[in-house]
Amino acid sequence: MTLWRLELVRLFRTHRIWILFGVFALFGALGPLTARFLPEIVEAVGGGVEIAVPPPSPELAMAGYLGNALQIGILAIAFVAAAALAFDSRPEMAVYLRTRASIPQILAPRYVVNMLASVVSFVIGTTIAYVGSAILIGAPLLGGTVTATLLLSVYLVFVVALTGFAASLVRSIPGTALITVGVLIVIGIIGLIPQVDAWLPSSLVGSFDALIAGGGFDYWGPLAVTIILSMGSIAASIALMERREA
Amino acid sequence: MTNDVVGASGITKKYGTTTALDDVSLSVRRGSVYGLVGPNGAGKTTLLGILAGLRRPTKGEFTVDARRVAVLPDAPKFDPWMKAREVVDLSFNLALPGGDPAAVDAVLARTGLLQVAHRRVGGFSRGMLQRLGLAAAVVGDPDLLLLDEPAAALDPAGRREVLDMVSDLRGDSTVIFSSHILDDVEAVCDEIGILNRGQLIYEGTLEDLIRGSSHLPSYCVVVRGSSDGLVALLQRCEWVADVSAAGSTVIVTAASSAVIEQELVPCVANSDAAIVSIAPVERSLEDVFLEVTQ
Repeated sequence: MTLWRLELVRLFRTHRIWILFGVFALFGALGPLTARFLPEIVEAVGGGVEIAVPPPSPELAMAGYLGNALQIGILAIAFVAAAALAFDSRPEMAVYLRTRASIPQILAPRYVVNMLASVVSFVIGTTIAYVGSAILIGAPLLGGTVTATLLLSVYLVFVVALTGFAASLVRSIPGTALITVGVLIVIGIIGLIPQVDAWLPSSLVGSFDALIAGGGFDYWGPLAVTIILSMGSIAASIALMERREA
Repeated sequence: MTNDVVGASGITKKYGTTTALDDVSLSVRRGSVYGLVGPNGAGKTTLLGILAGLRRPTKGEFTVDARRVAVLPDAPKFDPWMKAREVVDLSFNLALPGGDPAAVDAVLARTGLLQVAHRRVGGFSRGMLQRLGLAAAVVGDPDLLLLDEPAAALDPAGRREVLDMVSDLRGDSTVIFSSHILDDVEAVCDEIGILNRGQLIYEGTLEDLIRGSSHLPSYCVVVRGSSDGLVALLQRCEWVADVSAAGSTVIVTAASSAVIEQELVPCVANSDAAIVSIAPVERSLEDVFLEVTQ
């Protein structure tokens, strides 16, 4: 058993990996289905009232997937990552780890495994949404989908890094997850200022719809900021956890 | 490499306005078993935490001359989905990467956990977790082993096994062993430190502690039948500091060992009591501990 294997075992034995895969896969399937059958659904429940709905399109299918998957998915990622990164929440286990390994040794596998699990789950969900859309409606723009998926993956890496930073501020798992979600909400609110929005990690989320619709790539700024914030969060979490007494 | 594995000087630890440790200085010889005793809240766990590098002293300095330090908390807990073998194996790989993995099964067998090594630890009792914690601590061949109440949750047989393991480590590892159970400390420790209200009020050997205590020497005289006549006789003796009786047992206390050793036997011989036995009252660590901590 190594610290790396420990993290993989944790994800599978606690079934957390299936929560991540399940959330993204479910919405990956529902996005194209909903988009394809939305007119029929609305007509069936409309009770004779005519409601205008946009015609099914690959862009609508992917937007439906992302809108739902990210809301629930980020919550799931924050809680799953918090359960691994807030290792001081169980003081006896923290003593076991801290007296045998350095903080970077402890945190590295927790960061990497949770980042990979989040990104792989998202990629699986996106692939299901893409294939579903291609079968039911039409194929979304492949280049845009790939680029948008890469940008969103960087955003999810940032979410995990932020969770690690939150774990260095508080010890509890729910506290860590709630701080993470709270900071993401605050970033979203700050994004209401147009001049700032273009530089925030949250604008990577907005890139998804635009790139799939064929928009040009104009995201170097938020990409750089997100990478810098992720690295800063990781470095700060290591420094703070090294200073923290067990 | 110095002869002392641990050297601490003037260690003070404060939590807000509460002083957990107050100017504690101690030294622990390499290869010895050092007992840290004290009542609840005396600061034992805090001191072990500082020596393990898990806490920082507010004031004072300490050195730990050991490459591998292992700690066993008083109530070890592990991620409940881990299997017992995985806990020990992880500990082994972190402490001795590339070492002979046979050591893992050997330690599991030694701690009586080999039969349950495949089980998840979430269902383990506190005693089993304590054994597992000890297995995880010793499997890495530590130079310094810090044990916080290692036998507290164990049944008598388990306690004996743990104490035997600690005794066996003597010479190879240095062990600092905190305990409330003074019999355990008496059984395995070469030296002890007594902590009380954050202060180290005694450090040295058990023999020196018991010999140097302020209590007056006492003898126990057991007679056949009534002890009333003997008690009356002893009460008239000037050298007797105190006499107490319970049935056929009489406890006699004098001002010094020399006096009681010289005077007691002739005095008893002059009485008409039928003597069963005369023996000095041995003072236990518990007696001395209560004396110095009150």
